[in-house]
This record gives sequence, C-alpha cells and structure tokens, in this order.
Amino acid sequence: MTRRATTVSALAILCLASGVAAADTIKVGVIGTMSGPYALFGKNFKMGIDAWVAENGTKVGGHDVEFIYRDEESPNPAKSKAIAQELIVKDKVQYLAGAYFTPNAMAIAPLLEESKTPLVVMNAATSSIVEKSPYIVRTSFTMWQNTVPAAKTATKNGAKKVAIAVSDYGPGIDAEAAFKKTFEADGGAVVEAIRIPLATTDFSPIMQRIKNSGADTIFTFLPSGPPTLGFVKAYLDNGLKVAGVKLMSTGDVVTEPDLPNIGDPGIGILSTYHYSVSHASPENASFLAQIKKGGGNVDEVTMTSVAAYDGARLIYKMIEATAGQRDPVKAIAAVKDMTWVSPRGPVSIDPATRHIRQNVYLREVAKVDGKLINREIQTFDAQPDWALSKE
Amino acid sequence: MSDSATPAPPRGLPMIPEASGALAIIGLGAIGYFLFPDDLAFLTRLIGITLLVLSLDLVTGYCGVATLGHAAQFGVAAYAAGIACVRGVTDPIALLGVGLVAGTMMGLISGALITRFRGLPQLVLSIAVGQLVAALANKLSWLTGGSDGLSGITPGKVFGLYGFDMYSRTAFLFSLGVLLIVFVVLSRFVRSPFGLMCRGIKDDDLRARMIGVSIYPRLVVMYGVSGAVAGLGGALTAISTGVVGLDSVSFERSAEVLVMLVLGGAGHLWGALAGALIFQIFEHIVAAANPFHWMMLVGLLLIGIVVFAPRGLIAPVMALATRLARKGDA
Repeated sequence: MTRRATTVSALAILCLASGVAAADTIKVGVIGTMSGPYALFGKNFKMGIDAWVAENGTKVGGHDVEFIYRDEESPNPAKSKAIAQELIVKDKVQYLAGAYFTPNAMAIAPLLEESKTPLVVMNAATSSIVEKSPYIVRTSFTMWQNTVPAAKTATKNGAKKVAIAVSDYGPGIDAEAAFKKTFEADGGAVVEAIRIPLATTDFSPIMQRIKNSGADTIFTFLPSGPPTLGFVKAYLDNGLKVAGVKLMSTGDVVTEPDLPNIGDPGIGILSTYHYSVSHASPENASFLAQIKKGGGNVDEVTMTSVAAYDGARLIYKMIEATAGQRDPVKAIAAVKDMTWVSPRGPVSIDPATRHIRQNVYLREVAKVDGKLINREIQTFDAQPDWALSKE
Repeated sequence: MSDSATPAPPRGLPMIPEASGALAIIGLGAIGYFLFPDDLAFLTRLIGITLLVLSLDLVTGYCGVATLGHAAQFGVAAYAAGIACVRGVTDPIALLGVGLVAGTMMGLISGALITRFRGLPQLVLSIAVGQLVAALANKLSWLTGGSDGLSGITPGKVFGLYGFDMYSRTAFLFSLGVLLIVFVVLSRFVRSPFGLMCRGIKDDDLRARMIGVSIYPRLVVMYGVSGAVAGLGGALTAISTGVVGLDSVSFERSAEVLVMLVLGGAGHLWGALAGALIFQIFEHIVAAANPFHWMMLVGLLLIGIVVFAPRGLIAPVMALATRLARKGDA
C-alpha cells in the first residue's frame, strides 16, 4: 500500500505541476443484472465495488471516479449492446465493467475497439469472450477453469459413468466439453449429456433421464440463480441422492445464499470453485468486514462481489497507469501481468489471455456452527483457463 | 370501444391524416435527432418496437383479434434478416426486404391458425404459436445462435453511402424513414374499404356475415399486412443493433407491446404511436435513474394510466379534438 500511496502522490504532484485540471471525473459503466431473478448478482457487483471504493477512496491520481450502474436484466444481447452503446456515447464512460451473462458480454465486445473502451468482465464465463476484443480483461472465472478440477475429482472419487446436465448456452457447452474431455482422457465414460434450455424451471424430467441412464455421478452447471436451486431441489426430491448418485458441480450450483434453501439434505454435495465465502484468509475476512461496514449483508455475498472487488482494483490501476487519459492499449498493458492476493486467494492476470489465474478449491457442503457453508477440502493451485492457455 | 368509429374524413381534403402523420413523425424525429443526439441508439430501438406496436394495432385494434404471440412475426423477421446478413446479403434495403417477406409469411401462417377461433381459444393459440417460434429459435442454435444470440450482423452502407456506426445517426434516420413510410401507408390503408370492413367485423362480426362478408380470409390478409409491418420492425432492429437474441421472440416482448398498445389506445394508429413512445421513454428514463427498482415504477405508471384513462391515453385527446372540431363547425 505504501508503494501505491507513493505513486498516487507522485502522480498528483505531477498533475499539479503540469497544470492539468485535476478535478475531472472518470466514469465507469457497470452493466449487471440489477433487477429480475438474477438481481442478487448485480447487487453483488455493487457491493464488491463499494467495498473497494470504501477502502481506496473515490479518487485516483487526482481524478474522481464515478461508477454508473445499468440493468442487463436477463440474457438479452440486443439490450445489453444498446446499454453499452449509450454508456459510451451519452455518459462518455472511459471503462465498462460487469456483464453477468455470456451472450451479453459477446454483444458488447464489438463496441470496444471503435470506442477505445476497456471492458472488465466480472462474471460471464465462456472462455472465448476474452478473444473477442484485445480490450477485455476478466476477473471472474471460466467454465474450463472450474470444470477440469471437477472432472479430476470425479475420477479420483471412483466415478465410472457420468451424466452431464448443463444449461444450453455458451458457458454450459464449455462446461460439458471441459468435463467430457478431461473425464474421458482419464478413462471414464459419459453416459448421458443433457442440454437444458435456460428458461427451464422444472427439472424432474431431467432427473428421470439421469436415473434411467444408470450414471453413478452427475456433473452439472447452470448459471447461479433460480435454476440452480431448482436443479439441486429436484436432485434431492427425486431420490437420486438417496439412491447413491453423486452430484458434482461447479460452485455456481451451490452459491452460499442458496444453501439455506437447499437445507440439510444438501450436506456432502461436492463442487469446485474459485471462491467460497467461508474461505479462511485475512484478505477475505477484511473484505467481508468491509461489506458489512458498508451496510451489505454477508449472507448475500457471492463470487460476483469478489470479481467486482478485484475488477475495481484493475480499473483503478488502469486509471493510474493512463493518468486518466483514454488509452486502452496502455491501460490493458498495465494490468495484464498483475499479481495480488484477492479475498479468494492468490491470483494473477495471465498476460497471454488477459484472464485471471487462480486457485480452484474442491469444497463440500457442510454444517459449521449451525450454518451451511462450502468447506474447502482441497486446493488446485494457480489454475489457468484450460481452453485458452493450451497448457 | 364503439367510439372508435372515427368520423368520415371531410371530402375535398382526403390526405389530411396522411399529411399530419408524416409531419408529426418528421417533427418528433427532428426533436430526437437535434435535441438528443446522444440517445439515437435508444431512439432507433424504440422505432423498431413502435413498428411492432403499430402491427399489433392492425390485428388487435382494428380487427379485435386478441393475441399474446405477436413477437413471432417480429422475431422471425429479425432472425431472417440477421441470418441473411451473416450469410452475405449486406445491403440494408435488401435486408429490409427479407424481413418484410419473412414477417408477411409468418403473419399469414399465424393468421391462418389464430383467426379460425374467437375469444379465449384464440388467445391461447396465439400464445402457443409464439412459444413454438421461441422454442424453435432456441433449439435451432446452429442457425440462430440459441441463447447466445445471433451476432456478427454487420450491414453495409445505406444506398452505398451512409455506414452504420456507434453513434447510430444513419440507423436512426434510416429507421425514421421506414416508420414514416409505414405510418403514411397505414393511415391510408386503415381508411380503405378493406380497412373499414375489418373495423366492421370487429364491431359486429355477425352483422358483417349477414351482409355477405366472408370474415376469415379478410382477417388472414390483415394478419399478413400486420406481419409485414412487424417484419420491417424486426429487420430494422436486427440491422441497427447487430444482434438478434431470444428476447425478440419472447412472450415478454409480445406482452409488452400489448401493454403499450392498450396504454396508448387500441384502434388508432396514433394511439399505438403514442403508447409505444410514452411507455418506452418512461421505461428508459426510470431504468437509467434507478436500475434496481425501475420495474416497480413502470408498474405504478401502468396502474395509474389504466385507472385514469382506461381507453388509452389517446382517447381523451381524441375527444377533445372532436369537441374542438364541432365548435369550429358551429
């Protein structure tokens, strides 16, 4: 922090010395699911950003930073593109951030080069998003990143026949491909692969198909929100757990705010993910304390608030590196080999892919002090995005 | 709705509705272009949806067909134009043509199904057609992009001169031109013998049948015309936003345009225009002002309008205009 303070003050002095008007405002447009069924995750964007701003102030090198929030609502690429366009043209934002859904991020990407606006993706998890524009960095995760450890764990736990059930859109298809490739390479068999339309609310027929397939393990991914809770409920209610079919998922399916609704029957569900609210580290403790101090509810914290918190860190760094000027090349160059300790653990931006490299944890749902949490039981160190990095 | 029978236009000045419509749209367009140059992307999108509301007015307002699946025509045309563009047809006017044809076809098909019935079965059938189209758009993801949306739509220049850019100037003027032509043509069309007969069917279909009118083919033709208008809206949206998503065929889209139509006043082209403008501008402003609770405010607006102007916002204006006209005559 002292080094940051020195740079900041050095920059401030430089600005004053050169007579540059320092009272300008740099605007950052945040596009997230602020209303509707996925509102919790948009709210988490704001909680994460607010926590960062509370800790680091509203000024970077003499420039005021203002975050403007807009509602992407649902997977609606046309609307998201229009919103992004409006933020760029009308509100004159210098940075864009957010994007809960992949289709929405994909729709925004073509605007970035023409307008010279960097985008910090704070959720959307399809690998190929970062390839759509050189001005995209991502602080969330990708499906490959979280799924490869899931497949390895399944093999280790003795799974032979797996049924894959994923949402039928970009990230779901990534998850299916990642699991299939890793699991089959290790000698397992995929006996059923179901793609579920995004708008599905009744999962019982899917559970029936899984039952009929004779699988011993289910691997699933759905975007966090009402569908994930519905899926886990259907898994428990249709007796698959009792019948010994194991559920393996990315952490999207068992986010902490959903755990009380899943209840005790969910104990033992395994998932692999890059962030657990219960992650034991001083960084996470102070992050959660900051959220509480800002009036946020710790029971509502999900991975999107951490991605937003780290995303805000990148934005501050970019503003600092460009001295408040619109210079996306310099801005991206300044963050693309950053390394820091996030509330989720040690992370870095991979310079080749502009995607975050991070630990992925194997967790199981457990009850600690009367509260359901995702307890971390194994760490996969410094995972890259397995689809992009070709490692 | 029996007051919707507008007085016959005064003889000698047959083009007054067309001219006033054209003037109003040019005036509104000029306000948008010069006073809100930063909002053109939104205004362009607004025009696309306005065409869909006008299209819905033709079947719901003028023929009394209850439908909650009207986005099908819009969405099919948007996808058709989008797919054509991705596969190499990049001239915007040709794309409009593709949308027009696709919308008309879809209109004729759904019209042939939906107008066979009356009342609740009709409504249910319209929802079914809409859901069928939505499900197909999702399932045929190799063609439509499914939930990821159809992207990569980069239309060429209008007349080979004006390119589409981020500031949407071309897109806005292009859309405004289409709206202008459609509105003028429709103003004429709804006063044609065919249009008046449709209105007669709506007011009393038994009577229409008694004087020897065969209702079904007329309604199907009207659905085709309506599909053409919706198709233009869909194609415009695809061209100007460059993305077509499942939202363009969704139930929400169908329901939303019905709300706009009722809000403005069904059975008047002006009502459709006013409803589409007011609803979308209000929604846009509150969604930007409060992205977290804007839906609540939209709900309150709707309740307020339905309570205070149950026949739509245009009804009191029309009544006033009629009263003034009478005063003028006296």
